[in-house]
Amino acid sequence: MAESAVTLTTPPELERVPLVANDRKITWISDKVSNIVESPTPLWWWLAFLPCSLIAFIGLLCIGYQISNGVGVWGENKTVGWAWDITNFVFWIGIGHAGTLISAILFLTRQKWRTSINRAAEAMTIFAVICAGIFPGIHVGRVWMAWFLAPIPNANGIWPNFRSPLLWDVFAVSTYFTVSLLFWYTGLVPDLATLRDRAKSRVSKYLYGIFALGWRGSNRQWRHYEMAYLLLAGLSTPLVLSVHSVVSFDFATSIVPGWHTTIFPPYFVAGAIFGGFAMVLTILLPSRLLYPQLDDLVTRQHVDKMAKIILLTGTIVGYAYLTELFIAYYGANQYEKFTFFQARMGIDNPGWYAWAYYVMMFCNVISPQLFWIKSMRTNYIAVFIVCMFVNVGMWFERFVIIVTSLAQDFLPSSWRHYHPSWVEIWTFIGTFGIFLSLFLLFMRFLPMICMFEVKLVTPEGDPHHAPKKEGQH
Amino acid sequence: MSKRILNHPTEPVSGRKYWRSLGQLGDTPEFRGWLEREFPQGAAEMKGGEVSRRNFLQLMGASMALAGLSFAGCRRPELHMVPFTRGVEWSIPGKPLFFTTARPTRRGYAPLVATTHDGRPTKMEGNPLHPVSKGTTDMHSQSSLIDLYDPERAQHFVKAGKQSDTVTFEKELDEIVKGAGDGAGLAFLLESDNSPTRERLRGEIAKKFPAAKWAVYEPLGAELAYQATAVAFGEGVTAIPVIDKADVILALDSDFLGVEGDVNTIREFSARHKVSGPDSKMNRLYVVENRYTITGGIADHRLRVPASQIGAFALALAAEIGVATKDAALGETLKTFGAPAVTFNADWIKYSAEDLVASKGASLVLVGARQPAAVQVLVAAINVALGNLGKTIVGRKLSEKPAATLSELAKDITDKKVKTLFIIGGNPVYNAPADLGWAELQKSVPTVIRLGRAEDETSHFSHWNVPLAHYLESWGDGLAADGSYLSVQPMILPLFGGWSELDLLAKVAGLAKPSGPELVQETYKQRVKPNDFIGAWAKFLHDGFVAGETATSEALAFNAAAAAEYVAAKSAFPALAENAYEVVFTGCSKVDDGRFNNNGWLQEIPDPITKIAWDNAALISPATAKKLGVKDTSLIEITVGNSKLTAAAIIAPGHADGSISIALGYGRSVVGRVGSGTGFNAYPLRTTAQPYFAVGATAKATGKTYQLALTQEHWSLEGRGGDLTREATVDEYKAHPDFAKTMGMDAHIPPNVSLYTNPPLNQPASLDPHAWGMVVDLNSCIGCSACMVACQAENNIPIVGKEQVYEGREMHWIRTDRYFASVDESDPDPEMVSQPMMCQHCEYAPCETVCPVNATVHSEDGLNVMAYNRCIGTRYCANNCPFKVRRFNFFDYNQRDVQGRAKNADDRKLFTGLYEWNLTADKGAPDTVKMSKNPNVTVRMRGVMEKCTFCVQRIQEAKIAMKVAVRDSGDIRIPANAFTTACAQACPADAITFGDINNPDSDVSKLKKSERGYRLLEYLNVSARVSYLARIRNPNMKMPGAEKIGAAMKSQHGHTKAGGKH
Repeated sequence: MAESAVTLTTPPELERVPLVANDRKITWISDKVSNIVESPTPLWWWLAFLPCSLIAFIGLLCIGYQISNGVGVWGENKTVGWAWDITNFVFWIGIGHAGTLISAILFLTRQKWRTSINRAAEAMTIFAVICAGIFPGIHVGRVWMAWFLAPIPNANGIWPNFRSPLLWDVFAVSTYFTVSLLFWYTGLVPDLATLRDRAKSRVSKYLYGIFALGWRGSNRQWRHYEMAYLLLAGLSTPLVLSVHSVVSFDFATSIVPGWHTTIFPPYFVAGAIFGGFAMVLTILLPSRLLYPQLDDLVTRQHVDKMAKIILLTGTIVGYAYLTELFIAYYGANQYEKFTFFQARMGIDNPGWYAWAYYVMMFCNVISPQLFWIKSMRTNYIAVFIVCMFVNVGMWFERFVIIVTSLAQDFLPSSWRHYHPSWVEIWTFIGTFGIFLSLFLLFMRFLPMICMFEVKLVTPEGDPHHAPKKEGQH
Repeated sequence: MSKRILNHPTEPVSGRKYWRSLGQLGDTPEFRGWLEREFPQGAAEMKGGEVSRRNFLQLMGASMALAGLSFAGCRRPELHMVPFTRGVEWSIPGKPLFFTTARPTRRGYAPLVATTHDGRPTKMEGNPLHPVSKGTTDMHSQSSLIDLYDPERAQHFVKAGKQSDTVTFEKELDEIVKGAGDGAGLAFLLESDNSPTRERLRGEIAKKFPAAKWAVYEPLGAELAYQATAVAFGEGVTAIPVIDKADVILALDSDFLGVEGDVNTIREFSARHKVSGPDSKMNRLYVVENRYTITGGIADHRLRVPASQIGAFALALAAEIGVATKDAALGETLKTFGAPAVTFNADWIKYSAEDLVASKGASLVLVGARQPAAVQVLVAAINVALGNLGKTIVGRKLSEKPAATLSELAKDITDKKVKTLFIIGGNPVYNAPADLGWAELQKSVPTVIRLGRAEDETSHFSHWNVPLAHYLESWGDGLAADGSYLSVQPMILPLFGGWSELDLLAKVAGLAKPSGPELVQETYKQRVKPNDFIGAWAKFLHDGFVAGETATSEALAFNAAAAAEYVAAKSAFPALAENAYEVVFTGCSKVDDGRFNNNGWLQEIPDPITKIAWDNAALISPATAKKLGVKDTSLIEITVGNSKLTAAAIIAPGHADGSISIALGYGRSVVGRVGSGTGFNAYPLRTTAQPYFAVGATAKATGKTYQLALTQEHWSLEGRGGDLTREATVDEYKAHPDFAKTMGMDAHIPPNVSLYTNPPLNQPASLDPHAWGMVVDLNSCIGCSACMVACQAENNIPIVGKEQVYEGREMHWIRTDRYFASVDESDPDPEMVSQPMMCQHCEYAPCETVCPVNATVHSEDGLNVMAYNRCIGTRYCANNCPFKVRRFNFFDYNQRDVQGRAKNADDRKLFTGLYEWNLTADKGAPDTVKMSKNPNVTVRMRGVMEKCTFCVQRIQEAKIAMKVAVRDSGDIRIPANAFTTACAQACPADAITFGDINNPDSDVSKLKKSERGYRLLEYLNVSARVSYLARIRNPNMKMPGAEKIGAAMKSQHGHTKAGGKH
């Protein structure tokens, strides 16, 4: 039956948008990326680095002041035992997750677009974990005794308490930092070798040479490299999920209403990726502006994809928020209900922290909804603004969880407001100084973009690539 | 290395002094050396050896002044342990000794037992043998310990502002006494005190100087009560209420469980307020007062009435009772009164009167000693009409002869009749009525000799200031509330060489200054007339009182005619004017009339009602606050006549409208560092005519605010009353004896099922035969907070200062949570409930699982224990504690100055200032403060968590003693009720019971079976070892508002009616 016959023709394959714009050549990539490191230090770098390092220094002074005087220089009290310290810890550790996700999970799932951003994102991971690690270290009352946390065999026969989520944190975060650092460094080796080969001065040749570990680009080395990188990616992948799950156990395994929630692990992981991607964009967008030559490597396509992930994870986070509210309503536990409807939403409970809850809701759930619109996803200014909202919102999420739950818990007699002191505020600002200073140093001395991986995604890098015009392979 | 030579100070020049009992130990150099040997490194630091003991203590005491002396603090201090070269009799290092003594109060002496370690008293307990105390104490007896060790006590003999010495003083005193003739120019101003020896010396002085003036002044004394008793029952007697014989009590502005009471009144009341089962007969308490007091808090019915209208209320009540009892005298008294100016809730009066009349002979109407004498006479008439005389009110002979009042003395001074004035104790420049202008008067006296606790306002206008010995440093005697004769024996030599009151009076009387107990022995001989003096005296000191001696009660004869005349002449109770306020001056439950203002423990204890620490405040009702347009902590300006006072307001639920209450005793101008800058001085508003409340005051908002340090910011129960503070009325209790088990969350949670049966917990006896537990009876607890101070003393809890309390970092291990609850939030008459809260010693403790370093773990006998030296201070345990009982050392509270370097209050900024706690501040506590510490309890360093341990040191002491006693038999179970915790021991209401819940004979295991028992937050399955017994209210169902009683506790998740279905 001719009229009912269906024509089975394969639709023409859509042409993929090239990951490297303008059909750049391999040498162009090497030149442009290495140039950032090799050219003289631009003025703007100093203008950025000096204030950042000054802020970092102030932060370190605050830490010194706090350690020498006592935790009392912060605003915590008998009821709110954790506040900005652990808020900042969770905030920073969350930021790290984007880097690991990009470098590990997207690597394993062969998402080629990751290649131009993974180096910077991984660097961010490491710097963020450094910032995060400061807080659990200094928030304890007796920093000089913090080594009790390590399972060191001792004459007293006292071990750390393996039931404590805080101890799990110690293991999770230190593992995370170690693996991330190894992963990042392994990925750097071939590019360090490139820099070594291009280096003009003896000093830089020597230093890059040391860290390039004698990389010669032989087949055998590549083979080992590929295997090591794959293994590390495999190791890192569960960490993306586990680290923030463990961090969420700090709260989920406790009995504080608002903390004691089984939804926390997935909700925290989604939130971490959400916040991490926002931070990656927050850093990358200005870098792109400062190094226009990177436009062809970090394209609108990348920004668009990351915005999609932000939209997805932001919506998951929003879903988690609503689930919490529903369970609080449905659970018929008056303490739980109070925490969500009174302490957080502020119903009939003026003067507490409802404002923080709504800041969080707007920033994390409402603002990313803009990314349903494609033109917004590719509009750098819009993306930057939304990312800033997300950064703020994710900080507030942790603040809301930690402080509002503690401030009004079981016995109303103990309810207590919390006010940050200047020391806490400056310590937090100081960690931004540390983070940005480290990132600026990274931009200045290491290849921001993974050159050899980007080369692989160019048409030229494809072994089956046939040059369009001239000659044979 | 050269041999270290410890230079012990030379003997003091002031002659012999006894340091404690029985005299034999007397004045041996070993004892005087004890003090220094305790702290040899301190002594070694002093330059050379020529430092007298007193100087040494002065310097160390003022160690705050040793600012920046050295960087020695950077190094680990060298410590030297020096043994006694000769063993001291009775003293076993590390073992405490116990001695009885008694603390003077203006309501009589409190019988006590002092614990001494190596000659230094470290803890006060009630005398368990004495019926007034039965081992219990109030917060002032507990805190009197650090008055002894206060580094800011008077330490020198000061003449005209210059340091002098005891020899010069004695010489001058002898000259004054010699030249005094018949004593016409001599005057004495003392505090109220019933010491028979003082009374005897007074007689001696009167013999030698018949014209000398003897005046007694107490700003919060019972002058008006004496006047009233004199009118109603004649001179020389006093009327004593017998609270435990009363079934129905009506208290008119009488805080007889709080500032107007003592452990005796509390116990008498709570003995009749306790329930052991649904059939227990409870007493019923009606309270009429202007502000919430702890008496009002435990009341079954409470009416808010301005203090100035209590008289009008008493008249209305008398009318009602007069009609009901057809009492002629009462009818006669009331005949002259027309229609009342003020009207009250008629039903309230009608049915409360009905209840009182129904319990004729077993009822009691109490009136505050602060009310005008006419009101007190009227109340006496009511009690007579109710047939309470000789039953719930008995008479007792006054032990003291009447003395002149302060006004009479002031008149003499104005008339230039006084040449030499002895001011012993007291602080009249600070607390005399403003209209006397006492400071000027005192200045006009040619010679003023002051025996004072500290250098204060009064010392500035005195020629001689002599340090007053603390009661733990001096011999004495006194009478307890029941009239029994008590001994006061010293525990330690006067730390700063002070003189006792008796020392000075003896000198004036021409006797030798006593070097021991001879004066008291003389009184004892005269009073007791023992056959065997040596044995009887030893027993007197050992027991602390004369056993078997009972005070005889005097028959009270009511003088109806005089009473009627007095009431008719002096009773006028106008209503409050529309825009005028009454200002009510109350005694402070902490600093009393201001005498304890420099006591850090008391300053830091939150007021039982307002929960303010380190300050007082003007209490106003929510409606008054609205009218004035002020909020909590707003500063308001109060004007009474020509005097103005700006004070911080605090909105007090349950306060009478149009009334402002302000506690006396704060805002002192010359006081030590602890007391400086605390609160507002209300004394300038006080006059002779209106000593306790002033009417016609105006108040206005100033637009400024003040920072008040509140330990409890939130007073509402948020509908959690049914879960946290359970209560029912007597009727509900009878209908559903187990009502407490089915309230709050317990009404609908499924039973807790454990997936893991913890083997050690299932066979606890295999590890340790004991299981420590505690029961707190909310029906008995009145919220007096004595437990808090007892805990502070026992467990070396640091004082953190106002700034830190403001930051929410007070360190108390036990607290009394105070809630106001009402069904309707705008109800001006909420009910009040107090709940002591300490570590609940959960069997499945949430704090233990979260500690990453195993610093808080469980012991085999069920304690949740803290290992301070393992703690790193993550504060996770505190976050995970549902009861929020864990306390963190945010700073080095024991080592750094509480108030930083700032000398005056203005410099003490309310933020965690750069200078206050930092490492450049001086380190180390004054030696006298170190002496006050309990050597059995670790003094915690900064950065560690601490909390209630169930007094683990006492548990261990008992266990060790038991193990030693039983040797190899292995039966190490401690007998039931053998010892208890500091809080339970102190509690005058017997609300806290501690013990071994495994032992069926123990009180606590019996109480654990009570049907009123419940545990907090059972649904969390923490399995707390502390349980609470629900409060029972005994309302008169006819009373207006009776239906509201207890309703607020039936939260939305509890039953709407006891036993009803959710």
